[in-house]
Amino acid sequence: MRQVGIVGIGHSKFGRMDFDLVDILAWSSLEAMKDAGISGGIDQVFVANMGAGAINHQTAVASSLVSRIFLEPAMAETVENGPASGASAVKCGYMAIASGMADVVLVTGGERMREVIPWKATDFVATLTHPDAEYAYGVTLPAFGGMYTRAYMERYGLEERHLAMLAVKAHRNAERNPFAHIEESASMGGIWDGPHRDVVNPIMADPLRLYDMCPVSDGAASLVLCAMEVADRFPKKPVRIAGIGQATDTHCVHNREDILDLKAVRLAAERAYTMAGLGPEDVSCAELHDAFLILEVAISEAVGFWKPGEAKLAIERGDTEIRGTRPINTSGGLKAKGHPVGATGVSQIHEIVKQLRGEAAREDRQVNDPKVGLAVNFGGFGNNVVATILAKE
Amino acid sequence: MVSTTELYAVDTHVYASRCPRCGALYHPAPMVCKTCRTRRDPSVTVFPDFDKVPMEGPCKLLTWTRIYALPDGIDRPSSTFGIVEFPNGLRALGQLMVDEPRSGAALVARSGLVRELVGRDFYGLQLFSA
Repeated sequence: MRQVGIVGIGHSKFGRMDFDLVDILAWSSLEAMKDAGISGGIDQVFVANMGAGAINHQTAVASSLVSRIFLEPAMAETVENGPASGASAVKCGYMAIASGMADVVLVTGGERMREVIPWKATDFVATLTHPDAEYAYGVTLPAFGGMYTRAYMERYGLEERHLAMLAVKAHRNAERNPFAHIEESASMGGIWDGPHRDVVNPIMADPLRLYDMCPVSDGAASLVLCAMEVADRFPKKPVRIAGIGQATDTHCVHNREDILDLKAVRLAAERAYTMAGLGPEDVSCAELHDAFLILEVAISEAVGFWKPGEAKLAIERGDTEIRGTRPINTSGGLKAKGHPVGATGVSQIHEIVKQLRGEAAREDRQVNDPKVGLAVNFGGFGNNVVATILAKE
Repeated sequence: MVSTTELYAVDTHVYASRCPRCGALYHPAPMVCKTCRTRRDPSVTVFPDFDKVPMEGPCKLLTWTRIYALPDGIDRPSSTFGIVEFPNGLRALGQLMVDEPRSGAALVARSGLVRELVGRDFYGLQLFSA
């Protein structure tokens, strides 16, 4: 199997974008190609997208993207794997190169969710739940986040203030990320222990509050992947994809033996560590899928950074801050950078590449001398998870 | 010939599915038994369907939430959900009809109208205080 590296990264602004979905995909694709120093020569394009057919009335977006930026006759496919579509598309790109079918692959993930009113966007995401046993009740992904948070708090003693501390961290990091959806700071006094907490930060999915949740965003992110044996054609040193792991779990959350055990996260991470020949102790920084802040907490434990129930101690110590011992979500995470679902997995890897190259220093959010980064892209409510490990060459 | 009464009759009950060979219980119904790999055929053409087992009765609340951003078809300011476990080990999501829920509380599950969309009503589990 051939080794695969990332030689180009591109990103659009996340937020509300009044452009055609494929224009958004094209923008970030062209940024990644510019970063890779190429204007063509792409063998294969993978586009990660979850909802174009449902919310933008558009299908076959990979074919459309190829034509919009004149990459014909490159091979092209759209990859849909719920909110884990992005990392799945990167995995497809990896397989295409590792197998020898392609030398250079463009992976772009994107979504335009704000084309519809908020309850329709919420409803669209909820269609990933079981149609009879979950969706029919009107349950939403925030509802699963709320139920998970309550069970976690009751077992491990996590408090709402710990989530507020993570929200403040996410906003602080996003403020320094030029692509982030949320550009405002948050303070504990404003969202947690101030007199107007319940107005500023109301409960949305008890016990989760507004600031514990990601926004609904538009946006795209892109990567140029290549076989390591041709990496010297590109101006920037490649960041190697050292390991990819993926695992699934029951569709219905209630059917898990322990509803707090994120089994798919645990297995995906174990598989990625095994492939890379690394362990959690080797990870310098991580992007974890914090659509709800409880997921940063629970995923950080499931990937082996801390024992179950101990993430709250890491939050209190400041370990997950950019200058901490285990920086997490230096981009602002889904919580504050935003969550255009198809883009998210690609955007997480974009951030890890930026950190490993040392390019986050320009934005004053550089992790100290990172060697290895981990991204965890969480599909469904944990029923399909992709973990990716990148290593500095 | 099917009468209009039969055609429009809606079964408002919620069922678990029991494998006819090994007796394993499921909710919702899979297409094959996880234990003995017996296949299920909802059309009852090639294989029999799994047995229907009513899912109402006493259960225990494992966790819950109340949401205030609601999807279409729910005509209330908030909606409350819980995951419950029945004495036979089955678990299910349900609509919680309790003002002040508490994890671990004893509840009773009954079938009821949980959501109304244009042209379609959804019946599911409603969870009341025991």
